[in-house]
Amino acid sequence: MKLGISAAALLAAFLAFGSAAYAEDTLSPLHWQSQGTFGSYDQAALQRGFLVYQTACASCHSANALHYRDLTALGLTTEQVADITASIKLDNRPATLDDRLISALPKSQAAAAFGGAVPPDLSNIVAARPKGTEYIYNLLTGYQAPPADVTLMAKHYYNAAYPGNQIAMPAPLTDNAVTYADGTKATTAQEASDVAAFLTWASDPNLDARKQIGLRAVIFLIFLTLLAIATKRKIWRDVA
Amino acid sequence: MSDQTKSWLDSRLPLAACFRAQVCDKPLPANRPYLSALGTLITGTLIFLMLSGAVLSAYYVASDHGAYNSIQFIMRNVNDGWLIRSFHATGTTMLFAAVYLAIFHALITGAYRLPGELVWGLKLAFLLLMMLVGYLGYAMQDGAVSHWSLHDVTLAGAGLSSFPGNISNWVLGGPAGHGTLGHVAMMHGLLTFIALGVLVLHYYAKQAVAPVAKKTVPLHPYYTSHHFVAVSVYVLLFAVLVFFAPHLGENPLNAAPANPLLVPAVMTPPWYLLPAAAVTHALPGTEGGIVAFFAAFAVLFAMPWLDRSDPRSEPGFLYKLLVVILGLDVIALGMTAAAGPSTINAILMIIFIGWYFLHFLVLTPLVTARESK
Repeated sequence: MKLGISAAALLAAFLAFGSAAYAEDTLSPLHWQSQGTFGSYDQAALQRGFLVYQTACASCHSANALHYRDLTALGLTTEQVADITASIKLDNRPATLDDRLISALPKSQAAAAFGGAVPPDLSNIVAARPKGTEYIYNLLTGYQAPPADVTLMAKHYYNAAYPGNQIAMPAPLTDNAVTYADGTKATTAQEASDVAAFLTWASDPNLDARKQIGLRAVIFLIFLTLLAIATKRKIWRDVA
Repeated sequence: MSDQTKSWLDSRLPLAACFRAQVCDKPLPANRPYLSALGTLITGTLIFLMLSGAVLSAYYVASDHGAYNSIQFIMRNVNDGWLIRSFHATGTTMLFAAVYLAIFHALITGAYRLPGELVWGLKLAFLLLMMLVGYLGYAMQDGAVSHWSLHDVTLAGAGLSSFPGNISNWVLGGPAGHGTLGHVAMMHGLLTFIALGVLVLHYYAKQAVAPVAKKTVPLHPYYTSHHFVAVSVYVLLFAVLVFFAPHLGENPLNAAPANPLLVPAVMTPPWYLLPAAAVTHALPGTEGGIVAFFAAFAVLFAMPWLDRSDPRSEPGFLYKLLVVILGLDVIALGMTAAAGPSTINAILMIIFIGWYFLHFLVLTPLVTARESK
């Protein structure tokens, strides 16, 4: 009985922890719906984020691990994705659903334009940085005039979020750099938040499935554990 | 199966009778704690890791350009590949947690003492093999951190010129290069089978020295139901980690592809290798690191003889307290390795390693000799 109560308490604590973590996120001004134990992706934000990615990032950065067909996970139909790929030029032909998200400029050209720094592939960038989603947002909104005592290297810009503060990438986002189809106001902060959401999805496209299966698996296993405890107690009752 | 076939098979190959005697009806002590299920959990997890690893090996490409990309392929394009890889990664975490707990339990209960010295030695051999297997699995990912870690380790192997032959050549088949990851992957699998063999030996050695229980119960249904509880709780924890914290204890920087031109500032390995990583940084030079690592294991192997107490006595309070402090010391040591290089960390690391050796070489003989009087 005591074990049963503690297992029920464990289930309650698990659910409470999850919803508390989720509630906390929604209160923060910078919130990504995918965060928190049970958070899932906000498809509208992902679609806006892809637009920002395509407009501001894709000329120099690739996301090689992704194919255009994967974009249906953002809530787009195959026809909508086909419309997008039709407008993307790859070596004198339009992109197809089975092309990878490569950069418009070859890496060497992009690097030559930005002081030799090779733009990293963005497929896994959020997973590859501590607190990756926040890092992308802070980086994209972190461009500032350098403090008086800082001398910038040639072709470098001051960024509060970048390790070492001197980054070769010029500020990629400006207010109204894109026009959102859903009427959301395209501030730099909004664009940064949306593209951070998109890159989070790019790093972890299975997040929704993982948490959905996980919730069912955990609830099932809690009941299984309760049954196991009851069985064991019944069998061992006669053994002192 | 007809009765005739059954009796023919039983007379030629008495599997059923053997199963009944060795498994179903096997007498076991009537009073054992849930921690006694650790052996079952560790064996089960190892087999689970072998199966999930076998599936992953169908897609993994052991080469400079292939390793990272093939893992991305598993995570994104193979049906449920992300789940299988999460099982494999989290299974490793669960296995190490169980093994560290088993070692700690054996230390604090004095189970290593005669006649349990061989059981204890096999436990340590298993931990040593698992550390190697775990490290090789980490290196197989060829991420931005593990690539450089493997680079250092292969250089360390090459630096052991005082050994007969050249360990690096022997293990890696030549200078580090295109074939290195292939050798790493091959040994990752091979050593796992050797570790499974060690577990089997451990099982028999433990049976040989087990004290005779006053009251016994048959394995089935008593131990099956008992271990069913332990397995359920363990799998529950496992599921919470797989689905809600699949990257627990990993260095996020290692999720980026290897960059042969850029050494990461902090080369933090997965959590289960942190104390070992700290120890290998304790003494200067390649040889120093290797000597320190094996010295740290040597004092563990020597525990049955460092303990001066009567093997039949209950370990004393002060001794148990010291083992708890040792556990905290090893955790703190791992944290210094995770925090990265700095002067204060280097000093703390030396203090924690110093305490580790002091515990085994000085405090244990003194305290156990005094407490058994």
